[in-house]
Amino acid sequence: MRRSAIPSRLAAIAVTAAAFLLPSHAVAQAREIVSKQVSVGASEAVLVLEFRGGHRLEASFRDGTVSVDGEPIGAFEPGSAFDASWRSLLGQAVALENGPLAVAVQDWAPPTELTGSALEVAEALDRALEEGIEPSGDTPTAQDVSVSSSERGTLTRLLMGSVTRLSVLEEALAGLDERINVHIEEDFEVPAGETVEGSVVVIDGTATIAGEIRGDLVVVDGSVALEEGSRITGELRMADARMLRNLGDVDGGVVDVLATERDETDDLRERLRSEIRDEVRRDLRNELRNVTRADDDGFSFLSPFRTVLRGIGGVIETVFTILVLGLLGAVAVSFARENIEIVADTARRAPGRAAAVGLAGTFLLIPIWILGAVALVVSIVGIPVAIAWLPLFPAAVLVAGIFGYLAVAKNAGEWLADSGYAWTDWVRKSNPVHTILAGLIGLMLAFLAAHVISIVPFFGFLSGLLVFVGVVVTFAAVQVGFGAVLLTRGGRRREYWPLDPEEAWAAAMDIDADLDEGTTTAAGSTADDRNEGSEPHV
Amino acid sequence: MFDRSTTLLAALVVAGVAWPVHADGQSWREATMSHRLESSEPVRAQISYGAGTFGLRATEEPLLYRVSLRYDEDAYEPLIEYSGDRLEIGMEGSGRRFPFGRRSSGGSMDLELARGVPMDLDLHFGAVKADVDLGGLALTSLELSTGASESRIDVSEPNTSVLRRAVFEIGAADFTMRRLGNLGAERIELKAGVGHVDLSLDGRWRADARLSIEMGLGALDLRVPEGLGIRIRKDSFLTSFDPEGLVKRGDSYYSLDWEEADRKVTIDLNAAFGSVQVLWIR
Repeated sequence: MRRSAIPSRLAAIAVTAAAFLLPSHAVAQAREIVSKQVSVGASEAVLVLEFRGGHRLEASFRDGTVSVDGEPIGAFEPGSAFDASWRSLLGQAVALENGPLAVAVQDWAPPTELTGSALEVAEALDRALEEGIEPSGDTPTAQDVSVSSSERGTLTRLLMGSVTRLSVLEEALAGLDERINVHIEEDFEVPAGETVEGSVVVIDGTATIAGEIRGDLVVVDGSVALEEGSRITGELRMADARMLRNLGDVDGGVVDVLATERDETDDLRERLRSEIRDEVRRDLRNELRNVTRADDDGFSFLSPFRTVLRGIGGVIETVFTILVLGLLGAVAVSFARENIEIVADTARRAPGRAAAVGLAGTFLLIPIWILGAVALVVSIVGIPVAIAWLPLFPAAVLVAGIFGYLAVAKNAGEWLADSGYAWTDWVRKSNPVHTILAGLIGLMLAFLAAHVISIVPFFGFLSGLLVFVGVVVTFAAVQVGFGAVLLTRGGRRREYWPLDPEEAWAAAMDIDADLDEGTTTAAGSTADDRNEGSEPHV
Repeated sequence: MFDRSTTLLAALVVAGVAWPVHADGQSWREATMSHRLESSEPVRAQISYGAGTFGLRATEEPLLYRVSLRYDEDAYEPLIEYSGDRLEIGMEGSGRRFPFGRRSSGGSMDLELARGVPMDLDLHFGAVKADVDLGGLALTSLELSTGASESRIDVSEPNTSVLRRAVFEIGAADFTMRRLGNLGAERIELKAGVGHVDLSLDGRWRADARLSIEMGLGALDLRVPEGLGIRIRKDSFLTSFDPEGLVKRGDSYYSLDWEEADRKVTIDLNAAFGSVQVLWIR
């Protein structure tokens, strides 16, 4: 241990600064390893090293191929001596860091038993590792320049260029006693039971205190461990230093010399962040204001594009609605085909009656719901039923409404199939899913047209009119369908049965698209059979 | 030169590499990553681990971190990012296979963090068996959240920095904390959902502190060393409370030596559906 007593604080600063700024350690024989990654799996074993200055070395044994920095250099046999030797190196690398790790990598050599191409690959890997580890001819930084103290010009230049670090040192040493023990690039230790008089400065070393320091302890660019029972009567000042252990007592408290500087940096960072946040917020607010103003005025530079996008969005929305309802129609046909046909038949034969019943039912929905709940709640037995009634009644009404609407869509689809329009050729009347889908398109045609027309400027009135037509058609279809559902008790009871003979004869003579499948509806068939239309009846 | 854990780890890796293809159908990978300590500037560390066994302690070596992982490479891949003052360590799905079953539970993460580097530490665990020793770390902020886990937290040495606030959010878990005093925190918050919490207030308290505990459904064992003054302000619902060694004054329970104690800890206890027991460490 080297100790020196320097009477003047300025001299101490100069000496420590010189030592602080001019590290005198010898140039290492290998690059400094900053980070390492060792990864071992069943099919690969990888070593990745990152060196100070950004250089990187990656060597991998993966799926039978040896690669260095991503470039294949040859093959290896999994489980061979070569593979085992590499994995053994990685096993060592797990526990090693920096210097010892570099030595281990440099010392690795191809196994002696290798021959032929395996030996060549191993030697290539060995060379690559050596070249990766060895220092290159990079230009040294100012920090790496080794300068003797006698070179005053260089020293002055470095000191002048490191005002910040000097100020840190000055702050760390401010107010110390005249007598200072300075330890540069060496560890300092006060064993248990021993006492050191006066302040101690440790630069670039570790101070381990188990005894007592009667004064201050200053640690710069190093670390300090206060062991159990240790004591510092003054302050413990730390500048760019780490406290490894804090089991002792520090009468004057621990002072982080850089804390103020750090706080100022944090404040500055927070202020910048706050300013940026405010600016972004302000910009967004202005943007929103502009958009709102454009909407209010009804015209802006982007208005034409906005109407196009809005129109396309509306078309997509309507098509999506048709598809979802079509899907529900397919489900209804699959599971309740007879019911939907009975409802559709009733809606077709008595649309006025069905609409009247639907309208009445719509008006009575809420009173029935409330009265039903009240009637159930008054009795203890009815309370559990009321709990189910409250959510299930609206759900049942919704299902009935959709079911009725789909039945009306089926009728509309059949009508379109008979209409002979070119765009309805794809509709097969015998297929209820086709007719429902076609009917949905027909019922929503007004909405589709409204959205398409809304894209064209100056046709707002027409678009609005079409939307109105669409709403009326939808309302009417829902009312008729809902009424038909109520009349037929959900398609379980026919309102019109049997067919009168003339209608039955007309229906029997109606040979339509069923010809596609070579099937016809036959005289004497029931209404169900006619609608199903898949099997001829004799 | 190497501590026991490092040696053990190295032995495990060597053992692992010795049988590289021994288990068909399994694709366990072992990886070790480390980064040298380059400065003592503060670091914000975010550590997350979803399922498996987790260990954390301070390293004696000049490293910022060293993490050793065992994971199913078909389901996971490590996420380690260090830039400036931010360190993020965790695992993320590889997207190749849904992590499920024993593969996700057989993994492990063994993490060592630098001693003496001021650190804001966030720990997030899922279904993890965690063994954490925060002793020797220089914690300036601590947040720990767990899901359905079994966590044992120890602070074997006093914190070497000033901890402003420590927050523990515990889900459905078995949570044990030892030597809480060594954290040196002025304010500690503990929020527990369902489970058993075992809290030891031993260790070295640097100053008076305030501990806020919110318990849902579960049991809390509060271990208090003799000589530490404690005051408990309780607000509970359907919770049994065993105030052994405490006296009630007003709406608070005090330790007998409350007035004379060098260090005092005020505990705000908010509990529902459970039990709270005060145990004394002689």
